Amino acid sequence: MTAYIIRRLLLLPLILFGVTLIIFSFTQILGPEKLLSAYVNPNVFDKLSNEDLDKLIHKYGLDQPLWTRYFKWINGVFHGDLGWSVTAKQPVAQAIKERIPYTLELALYAMIPVIGVGIWLGVAAAVNRDKFLDHFIRIFAIVGWSLPDFVFGLVVLMIFYSVLGWFPPGTMSSWAEQIVKSPEFKHFTHILSIDALLNGRLDIFWDAIRHLIGPILTISWLWWAYLLRITRSSMLEVLGKEYVRTARAKGVPEKDVIHKHARKNAMIPVVTVAGAMVIGLLSGTVIVEVIFNRIGMGRFTAQAATQLDYAAVLGSVLFYSTILIIGNLIIDILYAALDPRIRLG
Amino acid sequence: MEKKPLLEVKNLKTYFYTEDGIVKAVDGVDFEVYPGETLGIVGESGSGKSVTSLSIMRLLDPNGEIVEGSEIIFEGKNLLELSEDEMRKIRGNDIAMIFQEPMVALNPVFTIGEQIMEAILLHQDVSKSEARKMAIEMLKKVGIPEPEKRVDEYPHELSGGMRQRAMIAMALSCRPKLLIADEPTTALDVTIQAQILELMRELQKEYGMAIILITHDVGVIAENADRVVVMYGGMVMETANVHELFKEMRHPYTWGLLNSLPRLDIEQERLYNIPGIVPDPLHFPPGCRFNTRCEFADEKCRKEIPPLYEVNKDHFSRCFYYQKVEEAQKLKKAGESA
Repeated sequence: MTAYIIRRLLLLPLILFGVTLIIFSFTQILGPEKLLSAYVNPNVFDKLSNEDLDKLIHKYGLDQPLWTRYFKWINGVFHGDLGWSVTAKQPVAQAIKERIPYTLELALYAMIPVIGVGIWLGVAAAVNRDKFLDHFIRIFAIVGWSLPDFVFGLVVLMIFYSVLGWFPPGTMSSWAEQIVKSPEFKHFTHILSIDALLNGRLDIFWDAIRHLIGPILTISWLWWAYLLRITRSSMLEVLGKEYVRTARAKGVPEKDVIHKHARKNAMIPVVTVAGAMVIGLLSGTVIVEVIFNRIGMGRFTAQAATQLDYAAVLGSVLFYSTILIIGNLIIDILYAALDPRIRLG
Repeated sequence: MEKKPLLEVKNLKTYFYTEDGIVKAVDGVDFEVYPGETLGIVGESGSGKSVTSLSIMRLLDPNGEIVEGSEIIFEGKNLLELSEDEMRKIRGNDIAMIFQEPMVALNPVFTIGEQIMEAILLHQDVSKSEARKMAIEMLKKVGIPEPEKRVDEYPHELSGGMRQRAMIAMALSCRPKLLIADEPTTALDVTIQAQILELMRELQKEYGMAIILITHDVGVIAENADRVVVMYGGMVMETANVHELFKEMRHPYTWGLLNSLPRLDIEQERLYNIPGIVPDPLHFPPGCRFNTRCEFADEKCRKEIPPLYEVNKDHFSRCFYYQKVEEAQKLKKAGESA
């Protein structure tokens, strides 16, 4: 098992190398002049003469072949320099570092309701198959399944912000932002709600949570729909297995038959889906972050991509690939923990 | 002296409600099981033998229902009147069950030990470490080598025969008074089959439990059962003690079943088989359920369901013409010996 994990982790740099090389090659299609915009203030850029441009292109090595430039970029990565982000107006490494805690915060809070409630609903539907509860949960799922997130997010915003005024968009209120940026506010974890608690500022904690509920609600409903359908069908399959009958024949109480004997077996396909969801959450959810106007990785990448901010795109790709690879490794380990028939190696 | 039966099944009717109609899987079955004996239930697939056993355990699928008026009396209590909670205390404790496929009847994600211990802990007031000791003891008893090691293994690490032994260990861990074995050896190799049946006989002697042995294998019945119930189309066709049944069967179906066994004492070109197929349980023929395949059947058989005739002491046959069957057998035997 340890050998397997080490082997997988050793593969990580190799995969990152491949992925970044592909993305890097794509960005080069833009041509030297567009690429230059990553290095020059746009206000100055328009006023440059062709001669100046050529000079700058030469200065930043944009006239050099792809390989040379790629290795230059890689070299920078090793020294913690991911280039300059035009959209964030700061170094890419810095920009990502600042946004990760916000994405992480949303991910951590959303994970619990998404996975916990999703699986619980799926099990409840399977156990009460074709009864009222099952139909109700399935209708609930179909609604979630058929609504796109940008529609549902707007509906949430409309009801809970415009009408009720409970959960505003954004990351925090401006009064809170002032306090957070003041020197008295200590940043222990960089995760807003946790730092607020550690600073003893319940008001800021509540403010952070208020801004999180809308996005969490949006993400949850859409992903519940998916997760509960997988859980339901997996549970139904397992409940028909003979070992479930064996458990009943032993005199095992029905709740243990369901939650011990059946559920552990039913979780195996669910882990795949839930794992992918967690990876998705950690990568930041573009639409939800844009609709609720939150700081985060998803929005950052989306903006970078639309504004040809290729250094930021490459930096984000590096981040996503790492999350994806480590996330999948954790899913594999979970598989082995759930099913003794699976051997890692 | 009349012994008191451990289990009495009276007029058991189990119907399944499907989209295509009502399947009368078991339709008025009566039999008794006495303490310490082995009752064999034999029949083809779809004869209702497995449904009978699941009805006794009350473990039917949700679309199955035991019809009002059926009685399953175990130690004087009608199991059908017990609450689910009371029934749960009987399952695994007083009545245990082993299934056909040891490959799929054990939970793949728990160790053998965990699964045996669960049964012990449910029904006996012992600590976890005691339960573990008992589980190892049971594994030893069913002939699993290195039980201290095997107890922590998962089902997929054991061979089919070992798994069935583990199943038996689990079923017998609470010393049940009745063991229902539903095709316990069908999925196993012939040599392993003999070992498992031998093991069951030994443990039966030691524990004094009664066994309901459900099988389609007449050979297994001949060697292991004391009394036999022959089922067809959800009904009992014939019941007798095993010696009498094999020598003096009084039902055409039993005769057909036994005739289809290979014999060493006479020359046979090919094995006999009962003509026709098992009727669709959604559309049983009117009258005797066997009439479509019976050489003795006439108009009466196609109209009325024959009652169970007592043809001898404790020997019943559901055939209007059981005497004709007897005569035909005598003729055949005379022909063979001539």
